[in-house]
Amino acid sequence: MNYRPLSITILAFASLACLGIAQTAKPPADKWEAPADAAAKNNPEAKNPDAAAVGRKLYMRTCVGCHEEDGSGKDTGAANLRSPEVQAQSDGALFWKVSNGNTAAGMPSFASLPETDRWDVVTFLRTLKDANGTGAEGSGQGKKDSPKSKGR
Amino acid sequence: MFNIWRLLFLLLLVPPAFAQEDAPYFVTYEHHLEEPGNLELEMNTTTGVPRNGQRAYVAPFAELQYGVNRWWTSELYLEGQSTAGDSTLFTGWRLESRFRPLAAEYPINPVLYLEYENVNEASRIQKEIVGKAALGFEPNSELRQTHAHELEAKLILSSDVRHWNIAENFIVERNLSESEGFEFGYAFATSRRLTQSVSPRPCHFCRENLVAGLEVYGGLGSTQSFGLQQTAHYAAPVLAWALTDKSTLSFSPAVGLTRHSNPVLLRAGYSYEIRGFRNKLRRFFGSH
Repeated sequence: MNYRPLSITILAFASLACLGIAQTAKPPADKWEAPADAAAKNNPEAKNPDAAAVGRKLYMRTCVGCHEEDGSGKDTGAANLRSPEVQAQSDGALFWKVSNGNTAAGMPSFASLPETDRWDVVTFLRTLKDANGTGAEGSGQGKKDSPKSKGR
Repeated sequence: MFNIWRLLFLLLLVPPAFAQEDAPYFVTYEHHLEEPGNLELEMNTTTGVPRNGQRAYVAPFAELQYGVNRWWTSELYLEGQSTAGDSTLFTGWRLESRFRPLAAEYPINPVLYLEYENVNEASRIQKEIVGKAALGFEPNSELRQTHAHELEAKLILSSDVRHWNIAENFIVERNLSESEGFEFGYAFATSRRLTQSVSPRPCHFCRENLVAGLEVYGGLGSTQSFGLQQTAHYAAPVLAWALTDKSTLSFSPAVGLTRHSNPVLLRAGYSYEIRGFRNKLRRFFGSH
């Protein structure tokens, strides 16, 4: 019996298992903040009347699995996107977080989405605030990134 | 057999692949796991149109896929089979787990897949093709007498590049009930959404809700006889239609590429996702 293919398979699995153990042993970062220049970016889609509707579709396709339809994340344990901590962040900061993710805390990077789509998602996130009546006033553009913001 | 390698080569030339969402494959697995605490319910069927003299069959199977945490998804399969002019029977169950060791997105994302199968020889769902082509066409009453306890492992490699997903699965399976050695198989696939533009208006049957792709899968023999002789291979276009943001309808007609394959396998499936299933269950039982 030729065991060579099996040995290679077992070796590959063992190597990847070690990588997984190393990865899960890494603690999540305490703070997850957008750099100042990223947080200061203006939302080019903020005045597009269709942006929130497009952003909602993209949110329902890519974000809803964790953050839920109303953005609360109450059943999944993901970040509450309606919370004042999230809504107080600038559009630029939210765009940076959507783009870069925080994989140690379970938030993937969505950099593979086109840039306009990511801004549309950020525009939609503002409507979650409006629906809840919580969070900061206005579009959030140019506001300071919250130091309390965390991943997910 | 040359045609298979030519097809695989052409598949590799396709520009690599898609983003964040589940790909529409029936056989191939990609690297996106179920979100933690969510449960996905799926009903699928594999309809076999065998060669002359053999009876057509329908093999339905249910899948319950649960996101244990962000790097571990577990899945239970319950399967049955109905053969034309014969009987309908339960053919067994499978329990699998997928582990994603690297949470971040890389050019190639590895996932480890481990499965235990407790099925009988009447099983026809063909979730993976391994070893030699060896579907028995004796009556179901005889096939159901032979049980197989099998362990299966897969190395899943998957990439999202631009708007495409491309995935490769390398399969090794061991039947604990027989001395068949270790059997090998493969599955390759690629897919993408039909359009990347998103309309601000609600729509159901529109291109943005459709994902199309191609799967190629087959057996590679075993440690007793490694190679392509007497193996089954299939090429299968796949199409998935997102009915709502929670439910998807999928369809795939697979064409047999060798004389040891079924000429045609028709696969169809419906999936529905229950978000926050874990916390809903806790609340139901009053523990949270």
